[in-house]
Amino acid sequence: VTKHLTLHTRTTTAGPVVEIAGDLDYDTAGQVRAALPGLGLRPGQQLVLDLGSLSFCDSSGITVLIAARNHALAAGASIALAAVPDRVGRIFRIVGLEQVFPTHPTAEAAEAAWRPAGG
Amino acid sequence: MSKTDDGEDGPCRGDEPADEQAQFSALLEDSAEDLYEHAPCGYLSTQLDGRIAKINATLLDWLGHRREDLVGRKHFSDLLTVGGRLYHETHFAPLLRMQGEVNGIALELKAADGTRLPVLITSTVKTGSDGQPLLIRTTVFDARDRRAYEAELLRARREADRERDRLQTLATTLQETLLPPALVDVPGLDVAAHYHIASTDKVGGDFYDLFPLDAGTWGLFLGDVCGKGAAAAAITSLARYTLRAAAVYDPDPVAVLGNLNTVLNHEYNGADPRFCTVVFGLLTPDRGGFRITLASGGHPPALLMRADGTADFLPTPGGQLIGVLPDAHIATTTVHLAPGDTLLLHTDGLTEAHTNATAGSEDRYGDDALLDFGRALAPTTASRTVSAVRDLLDTFGTGVDDDTAVLAVHAPRTPSGEQQ
Repeated sequence: VTKHLTLHTRTTTAGPVVEIAGDLDYDTAGQVRAALPGLGLRPGQQLVLDLGSLSFCDSSGITVLIAARNHALAAGASIALAAVPDRVGRIFRIVGLEQVFPTHPTAEAAEAAWRPAGG
Repeated sequence: MSKTDDGEDGPCRGDEPADEQAQFSALLEDSAEDLYEHAPCGYLSTQLDGRIAKINATLLDWLGHRREDLVGRKHFSDLLTVGGRLYHETHFAPLLRMQGEVNGIALELKAADGTRLPVLITSTVKTGSDGQPLLIRTTVFDARDRRAYEAELLRARREADRERDRLQTLATTLQETLLPPALVDVPGLDVAAHYHIASTDKVGGDFYDLFPLDAGTWGLFLGDVCGKGAAAAAITSLARYTLRAAAVYDPDPVAVLGNLNTVLNHEYNGADPRFCTVVFGLLTPDRGGFRITLASGGHPPALLMRADGTADFLPTPGGQLIGVLPDAHIATTTVHLAPGDTLLLHTDGLTEAHTNATAGSEDRYGDDALLDFGRALAPTTASRTVSAVRDLLDTFGTGVDDDTAVLAVHAPRTPSGEQQ
């Protein structure tokens, strides 16, 4: 069982893709928060958070996903989630966030859905 | 006076002429005799019955005794305190007889002036060539510095314990200020609540309240602020007072939660967003029970346990958590709490609890299990529901890793529900 969090960032034409693997909770959420400024998001880009290897996400995890959204919007960019696990998807439905984060089955699908026009 | 050395030749040989000793000293810069007498530890040889046969100057100096007062006259146990003598008789001496040596025993010696000297004692039994025990050799280490060091450690530890207690008291007190001291008495309504604290040093972010509004109507809420600690407690406090004030201004549940959303959204945005999930209810007496309008901002659904033994969640789909979005959508549902019905509000500390923490299992309790719990319990009352939840939390033990709040309301079947 993964008890820590690892981040892996890669750059695509659509913008940065951050893979978040492990437990996203009170103890690890700060890692994601700290990584946001270094992404170098430009206006019109799309930040993709790939949650395919996320094993757990609590309210602190939700908080940092919202912080990522605020960060993207402030940079004039957009945000999308990829490969949202069922458990996390269920939490998102309960707290009504599924309308706020566009979601895609894979990071590639998220990249394909991005339109350079921006907006 | 037994001047018997009983074959004890010691680390040195008895009395040597002073000039010879001086020569020896000059050669080695330290004589065995001088090392024995003025070693940094005490030396003591006793006969098997404990009578002192030989003692070095260091130990005599520590104790303030003269050699002639001890040698052949006193027993080793005479140098001990009363407690030490008892310990010597019951443990030390038997152990020494049994295994031929005893190592590093802490005892207290009595000095001539009555003061006490903490020491560490090591003794060995010297045997003759035939294997028969001849005498007991004992080294005595001054443990005053060590004892002082231990006392200091103990003092520091007690201080740390007191600090921890103070922190826990502070956290508990703060927690209590975030909850109503007692729930108000609503005519015709049976109410019970429970707050389970998961961590004694971090204030959690769950909250609830039940309070009177305009004549004959009542407000209730239960919520969960994200995060823990002082920052979460500040939001909890803000949420609680905003909800109460907003309900007085306009008791419509959607308006109440909308108000809280605006306040939190203005206050906290950007890199450190703060949000909560809340369910707010407006209670109005209706047909022997109550009409309850529930508004939910992203909160887990309430559980209705009916008088007929059925139970269901009251979903509020589409309700969004409070404080994140400038115009959060708030979903409502209305339910009639008929006589015999019980409504349970909870925070997700309950459903997120690990069911088998000791086995290190990742299994969590979950919504389905909570629904089954409600079905097994119905029909029930508020106090029976809360007590069953407490029992359930007890079975999870350390598996409850987040604070958990529950609030249950029940319309009794008795005619007391008829008053107006």
